[in-house]
Amino acid sequence: MPSSVIIALITAVAIAAERENAVVKAKSMTIDNQGGTTDRIIRIRDVFTTAAATGAVAAAQDEERYLATVIAGDIITLGEEDLKGVKCLGTMNVICNVADGALDRCYVTVGYEHE
Amino acid sequence: MLELQPKAQFSVVVPPKLLQEGYLVTFSSDWPSTHEAIREKTFRIDVCNQVPYDLSYILPTGAVGTIYRDVDFSNGGGAFQESIYPENQNSLFEVLLGFKPGNFISHWYVPAGKSVHALEYAQMYPDLTNVKRQYLGARQPKDSPYDDPRIKLYLVKDLAPLIMRLYVLPGVLFEKIVCGLTINKCLMRKIEAPTDDQLLKAKVIRYYDYLRW
Repeated sequence: MPSSVIIALITAVAIAAERENAVVKAKSMTIDNQGGTTDRIIRIRDVFTTAAATGAVAAAQDEERYLATVIAGDIITLGEEDLKGVKCLGTMNVICNVADGALDRCYVTVGYEHE
Repeated sequence: MLELQPKAQFSVVVPPKLLQEGYLVTFSSDWPSTHEAIREKTFRIDVCNQVPYDLSYILPTGAVGTIYRDVDFSNGGGAFQESIYPENQNSLFEVLLGFKPGNFISHWYVPAGKSVHALEYAQMYPDLTNVKRQYLGARQPKDSPYDDPRIKLYLVKDLAPLIMRLYVLPGVLFEKIVCGLTINKCLMRKIEAPTDDQLLKAKVIRYYDYLRW
């Protein structure tokens, strides 16, 4: 299972790229806010473009798939059961509500699979 | 140690899912005159080549029956055409189609606008705008899983457009529909005077109209 470690930013950071013939499923997530001095809200967002169809034109979408709040100094780990049903149709991104700083940093590790 | 294996009483042979080299096919008499080159004729499969191909569409859901995607398997540059049909008269494409799991259904039309799965009463026709009849004749992902496809199509040159209508069921905002195709490209050679035995062994490929009587 591939995984990716990122620094939580207020701009979206890609975890897994879109694959045409698969969806991306989150399998595990660790949010390490031990080095953070601010409570953080971490979101998984799904970025994709719909196909042209009768009754709808192709359009870019950015959907929220998961949200977790982690208090400053804490670390949480989520397993497959916790993330069951978290499925991204396109690119899986992670975004945070707090700006990163040298003395206020949060790491997010996401394990995922294309299925 | 010396062991004598007892003779098997019987064995179970699972036939291959796809046409193989050396197999015989016959096109029945119900094919229209526009397909005179294959109608009521028998062919031997000389060469097979399996070509995998995945199609995917992310569709939104909307008010009942208002948003759907037609997948046209015929050839051309149209927005919804996927150009899966053969271009040569002596080619037969046998296509296995399976779906990855998801919240959607598919309806089948050939030619466009004529459902394959209507019942006999006048109103019993697949209708996406009707909450009950949208399930009439609908094929769901579990009916033909991606890893064990059950939907099989036979495509020849200039066959009328075969349409698969994909519709995302209510309850989700968006769904990704992944259709896995295995296109078994078969090169056919005509048998001028097939024997009774060959006719008996040949797989009969009927025109789609036989599904509607």
